[in-house]
Amino acid sequence: MLFSSIPFLYYFLPLFLICYFAVPKKFKNAVILAFSLFFYAWGEPKYVFLMIATIVVNYILGLLIEKCQGTGKDKLFVILSLVFSLGALGCFKYADFFIENFSLVTGLPVKVLNIALPIGISFYTFQILSYTIDVYRNDVRAQRSIVALGAYVTLFPQLIAGPIVRYSDVEKELRERHHGFDMAYAGIRRFITGLSKKVIIANTLGELCESFHASDEKSVVFYWVFALCYSLQIYFDFSGYSDMAIGLGKILGFNFMENFNYPFISKSITEFWRRWHISLGSWFRDYVYIPMGGNRVGKTRLFINIFTIWMLTGLWHGAEWNFVIWGLYFGVLLVLEKFIYGNLLTKAKGFNHIYVVFLVAVSFVIFSAGSFSEAMSLVGGMFGFNNVSLLSADTVYYMKSYALVMIFAVLASTPVLKNIYGYLQKGRLKKVTDIFEVPVLLALLLIVTAYLADGSFNPFLYFRF
Amino acid sequence: MKNKIGTIIFAFVLTFVFLVCLIKPPADISVSERRPLAQMPDISIESVLGGKAASGFEKYATDQFPLRDTLRKIKATFGMNILGKKDNNKLFTAEGHISKIDDDMSDYMIDYVATLFKRITEKYMKDKSGKVYFSVVPDKNIILADKNGYPSMDYEAFFEKIREKTEFVEYIDITGFLSLNDYYRTDTHWRQEKIVDVAQYLAERMGAEIEGEYWENTVNKPFYGVYYGQIALPFEADDMVYLTNDTINSFIVTYYGSGKGEEGEVYNKKKLEGNDMYEMFLSGSEPLITIENPNAQNEGELVIFRDSFASSIAPLLAQGYKKTTLVDIRYMQSDLVGEYVDFENCDVLFLYSTAVLNTSTSMK
Repeated sequence: MLFSSIPFLYYFLPLFLICYFAVPKKFKNAVILAFSLFFYAWGEPKYVFLMIATIVVNYILGLLIEKCQGTGKDKLFVILSLVFSLGALGCFKYADFFIENFSLVTGLPVKVLNIALPIGISFYTFQILSYTIDVYRNDVRAQRSIVALGAYVTLFPQLIAGPIVRYSDVEKELRERHHGFDMAYAGIRRFITGLSKKVIIANTLGELCESFHASDEKSVVFYWVFALCYSLQIYFDFSGYSDMAIGLGKILGFNFMENFNYPFISKSITEFWRRWHISLGSWFRDYVYIPMGGNRVGKTRLFINIFTIWMLTGLWHGAEWNFVIWGLYFGVLLVLEKFIYGNLLTKAKGFNHIYVVFLVAVSFVIFSAGSFSEAMSLVGGMFGFNNVSLLSADTVYYMKSYALVMIFAVLASTPVLKNIYGYLQKGRLKKVTDIFEVPVLLALLLIVTAYLADGSFNPFLYFRF
Repeated sequence: MKNKIGTIIFAFVLTFVFLVCLIKPPADISVSERRPLAQMPDISIESVLGGKAASGFEKYATDQFPLRDTLRKIKATFGMNILGKKDNNKLFTAEGHISKIDDDMSDYMIDYVATLFKRITEKYMKDKSGKVYFSVVPDKNIILADKNGYPSMDYEAFFEKIREKTEFVEYIDITGFLSLNDYYRTDTHWRQEKIVDVAQYLAERMGAEIEGEYWENTVNKPFYGVYYGQIALPFEADDMVYLTNDTINSFIVTYYGSGKGEEGEVYNKKKLEGNDMYEMFLSGSEPLITIENPNAQNEGELVIFRDSFASSIAPLLAQGYKKTTLVDIRYMQSDLVGEYVDFENCDVLFLYSTAVLNTSTSMK
């Protein structure tokens, strides 16, 4: 089920909230678990059993790891947890990718399995691993209640598009959390903001990207417009989902970590990745990069560590070579910034922003492709290798038609609007902004509902994650 | 205080809309979009496990959402007037008309249609004395889109290619006879009272003679065309005019949609109460219709393979023939036509609009 859908907004969510706030505290996790399983089972019920198996297995392993702490067996159990969870991820997400490439390299005709990818498997696998690893590291205690652990793993606000919430971050809130008007309203405001980002901005930019793909009259400029708009689309889509997740979390009394922090204002690719999909970057850092030795290793090993992490980051986003290339592309840029021109970049004010936007736009063109060859064709088009004119009538039309949305999206991808609102909130206009805030949010909800009721373009971009 | 009031308001809105969704009786059709609305899916173990129940419910919840038509208007107005988009769901307004962006020419469809027409010609007209003609009704975008800066199919290339692929028939070019005013402003179709010259030219090229004098009858009801509902923006309605004269009034029209012939009207007034008033012309979507002309000056017969554009021009053309048969191969297999139509001593006209030629794989 998508947040940006009528069934979620006007059936699932009200029913869930009524049940959630109607039951006593001790049953709230059970309500979350039951509704989250329903949410996940919606449209693809068979994979709910895989999720339940993941919860049960890791619940038992978590208890065993804690019980056997210091005996050496705890290591065995955490390895079992890794094998089970990553095995499921590998089997459902990467099996066909490896089979196809194995066949290609060896020439042996091995049949692909054609397994459908369970939605959100990459997110919940990483979440459950953060639990068993943290129990193994003695950072958290094993969860005694399978309902609480189940509620954590299945928590629907962040189940299918993140952020990747670590068990240690919500451990206390799973036991005891505060509900009140302040948290609830902050959550509502955040949720509607995220929903508007997704439906009004991201989906509209997505229409332009679809028109680009469908156009017979592409041009070099159109390729660049596509690159910019796709980058903005995925930012508003992804950060919109994160906002919705964080907002829903607040309504339920959870405080999830921030996942995006205006990445397009970065002055380097290194900074970009500190601001983009923060929960994934920090997960890889803490659970893979640092255990591999992190920065405190020799230069050769450091290169190996960096490229391993970025290859894995790419693969996490999808089992295709274009995602591997996309990850390694960032690996190369980060190495270059770290060892060659990082300092120079800091001094090149203005240019460093252009540098980031340019490289990120190229990266998302690679990301958007369905295959490696398509990625190369799209990047080729940006640099005039596809035998297209510089400008076409289609390009002019779509640039005119989407000009205001693009300008607004660029503006909203910076903290300018947030800062203006923050300034007004501190000044004498606070009362006015307070009065207008609720009507504005209601108007946004009405417009979003209008888009959804119209059945407008509403893609789900994370089906390969 | 703001937090408390805000939370209560949103809790109320969500709960209220939820309850309205639950109690609102489902509607059968969307009048503005002219389509059936999704209904509550059947819930069974198979449909739930297969995901059909969920996808069916999503369509149902969206289609049956309270005040959906108003919301569609809000969306269209916001998109075009606030966000500055030049089209809404590919529909645009220019020069007082609503039209739809059709920027892709389908080579596949042109090949498909040409092969189909060739098969029909060879099957029914081989060694026959009649001639086979082909004419294409251009979409109003040919006049409207490019001129107003909207993406448009390369019509020149389209006509060139389709003529090249259908050299086995005699092509009649009617493009020069059509101007923007010959089309309804809110609909895709042409206006019957404005295509008298087109009918005259087609008849002349096929060697028939038709009358040029008609009475203009205006329908006493505004006509909101197919694009009106789709664009969901306020727009002035069209008026609808149909032509009659003594010859047309004497026509014996037989509809074969039910399998056996049933006599009916040239202009079916009952259709004016339906979703699409244009269906008044020869009752809209019908697989097979015959028009017999008791006042015919000759024994000539014409078979028209056609789409909906022919519904309004056929009564004019039928004046020049003793019998005119209209065949819509989107609703009946072309292989079965021979069971109902005798192709001896008759001419054949393929009359199709660019939109159907470019997109309709339902022609069989």
